[in-house]
This record gives sequence, structure tokens and C-alpha cells, in this order.
Amino acid sequence: MSPTKTAAPGRLLTQVAGERQTGALVVGGHPGGSPGGAVYLHDGAVIYAESPASPGVGELLTSSGRLAARTWQAALDAGSPQSRVGRLLLDQGHLTQGELELCVLGAIYDAAYFALGSASAPVEFRPGAGHWLGTVVRVDAAAVNRESRRRSRLLDEIFPNALIDSAPVTPVPRAPLERITLTALQWELLVHADGQRTPADLAQLLGRAGFATIQELRRLAALGLIERPAERDPKTDDPDLVRLPRARGTAPAAGVTRPVVTLDEGPMVPVVTHRTATAVEDPPPATPAPYTGDPVTNGTVYRPPRLARRKPGAKLPKDLAGEPPMDVPGADEVLLKRIRTALRALR
Amino acid sequence: MPGVEHCLQEAMAIPGAVGASIVDYTTGFPVATTGAAPNSDHEAAAAGTADVVQAATSRSLFVSAVPHDLLEDLIITTAGGYHLLRLVQTDFDSRLVLYVWLDRIHGNLAVARRRMQTLAAELVAT
Repeated sequence: MSPTKTAAPGRLLTQVAGERQTGALVVGGHPGGSPGGAVYLHDGAVIYAESPASPGVGELLTSSGRLAARTWQAALDAGSPQSRVGRLLLDQGHLTQGELELCVLGAIYDAAYFALGSASAPVEFRPGAGHWLGTVVRVDAAAVNRESRRRSRLLDEIFPNALIDSAPVTPVPRAPLERITLTALQWELLVHADGQRTPADLAQLLGRAGFATIQELRRLAALGLIERPAERDPKTDDPDLVRLPRARGTAPAAGVTRPVVTLDEGPMVPVVTHRTATAVEDPPPATPAPYTGDPVTNGTVYRPPRLARRKPGAKLPKDLAGEPPMDVPGADEVLLKRIRTALRALR
Repeated sequence: MPGVEHCLQEAMAIPGAVGASIVDYTTGFPVATTGAAPNSDHEAAAAGTADVVQAATSRSLFVSAVPHDLLEDLIITTAGGYHLLRLVQTDFDSRLVLYVWLDRIHGNLAVARRRMQTLAAELVAT
């Protein structure tokens, strides 16, 4: 049982719980997909779970200000060797039994959703492994499994796009409605989303439950307040080809699910490929607004294009990268290039 | 030191109580349960509870009279019983509600509400 194998984490949990085992079920994650995690069992009952996508008990208690970081660290240092951090916090009067139990219960179901969510992942059961928190609550493994499955159904009922759960969150620059109402968590998420942070980053940063975070993100996506990551089609997805950036005003209209975005679709933002080393630090060239009369762009205010994020080492499309670099890019030539690229966009 | 189990035992000691649970209202999941549930299904009751709380909190309709107003309880009365929901305010991130089902003949709404107020506060008070 100890070597890593690929299996359904939920099924293995049922098995080890049925054998009344003690130890840790470690589920491997993979970037861009399931985050993985670990579920700790004692005598067949779940006592704790953790995942990179969900804040643990420590993060929940310290980021909310319930415990000072120093208090938490002291308890962690003193209690970890004997696996009695939870007991210690109660004995020292930092938390009530009720608070700790509710916090741990919340953290277990939250992390278990991420750890057990994938249908197939590298899983490993480490017999005898304990957790530093100790046994605060005991949860039936079947209930954890059932709840994890139910939660993924809940998300699809809100808005069926699983990519939202792992892709970096980008708020739309302009709300689709004149007046919108947000919950406190939705507001926090929009304020902290910067196009780089993933839902897991946001949950950790804000000390908010991972599931509650992606639940609100799916709602925001349904409302059209965050950009929806496009489904990637493995057949037409050429890893060598880079997706060109779109002008912001030309993003797919809210409520329309678009298939894969191909290169010849929609107005493209010109890419300036020839820049000197010093020009790299400069902000992107202020390309004039290409008013094409296109019904999609019509009526939208021009915003500077976002630069395409390219995988390290990825090549630019041939027609753009093929031209030789310029030797002496004088100020006039840069200007001419800008005009040329702007004219190209008008074609 | 009152824990979750103790809190639910105390809730069952409220006159007329037939069932009690603590429900996570973002997911509609019963974190802890005791006694009976409507239709003998704690999970279905929790899902319904969550819908009710969501309906009351997602619109600001019911908390707009006073600035910084907060939802405290939701009370549903039926011909046969009372269903009381009390929001549990924790410092850390959670969305929990204490739910108690009372028998209409033996239960007293005012008494039960006061008891639940104390229980929900004791659960998280230092």
C-alpha cells in the first residue's frame, strides 16, 4: 500500500477507513489541475485534511486576527512533537473548544474537497503518520467522501467551467451592468484579483475557505464580472503557437460561451516585436485605438492591450518573429513602426 | 468547556426541541447533527436551511433598516412546529448557522430564541 500509485483518492480513503487504519493519505497534485493534498486518519476516522488550495487551521485563525501569529507559532513549536497543538491552544485558553472544533471541521471538509476531488491522481497511504494538530474532531470518512462529491456538483450548478477553479483571476475592466451587488467575499476577491493570483493564492491570502472562494468566483464568472478562462482544445492546441493578445474591448461578450479562440478570429492587437534592450522596460507602446466599426468594439472605450503571457521559451508566430531585428532603432523608426502596426490593425 | 457536541445537547434541552444541527450555509452541509430532522434527513434539511439563509443574506433587503445591521435569526413557523436558525459569528472565516427544530405544542418561541442566542455565543466566546 505504501508505494505511490495512480488511483481514485476517494476510493482509497474508503478502503483504509474500512480497515480502521491510522496514517496519512497523500494525494499528489499537478500544476494547472487538481491541487492535491493530504487526509489524516486515526483509527479509520478522518481527523484532519490539508491542501495547498485551502487555508489550514493556522492560516484561518491568524489571518482573521483571532490568534496572533506569535501565539500560533508558539503553540506550533511546543505542541508539534507530541501532536498536541490543538490541545495546547485549548489548555492555554486561546480558543474555546467550540471554536477549535468548528474551525477544524471547516478545514477538513474544505481541504478534502480539493484532495479527493480528482478521479485519478498519484496517491500514497503512509501508515502511522500523524498530524501535529492532534485529534480535535473525528469525522466519518464516508461523510467526507460524499460531501466532496456533492460540492463539485454544487459548483457546476452555479456555472459549469472547472477552469475557473485554478486559472489566475482577472476582473473584467468594466461591469456588464450599471449597478451590481456584491457579497463581502466577492468584493474581497475582486479587490485582490490582479490577473496573476490563482483562486488558491487568493484563498490563502485572504484566509477564506478554498471552496467558498471558488464558489464565489464561479458566481462572479456567471455574472460576467471576471474573465472566463477559455476551454483548451487539445486537438487544435499547438504548443508552439502563441495566442495573440486581444484588445480588451473585444473580449468575448458575456453570456456567450465561445469555442477555442484561434488566431484569425477577432481583431488582434498588433505586436511590436523589435525593441531594443532598453526599450524592454518601457510600458507597452500606446497604439492608437483601431476603430474598425466592428459591432463588438463599437461603443467601447479603448484600453491599452494586455500583453500576451507566453510560456518561457515559447516562440512567436512565424509571420511576426520572422523579420530580422532592427540595428539602429531611432525615434522616427519607432514612430513609423507604431503607425505601421496601427494601420495593419485597420486592415 | 463547551464544544460542538455539548452545544447540540444543550439545544436539545430547550423545551420542545426534537432536533438540532450546525449547518455550513455556503454548502448546505450539516457539520454536526443530533436528534430528529424533518423527513428524517439531516442533509436535506441542511440544504434547505442553507437556501433560506442564502436568500436572506444575499439580498440586503432584510438588514437595511439600520446602518451595520446584521442578520441574527430566521424563524419559520409551520402548523406543527417551529424552525429556528441562529447565525453563529466566528472570528475566523466560516459561515455557520445553528438550527433547532421545535415541536409546536411543547415549544416556546421566545424561550427557545433566547436559549439559542446564549448557545451560539457560548460556542465561540472565550
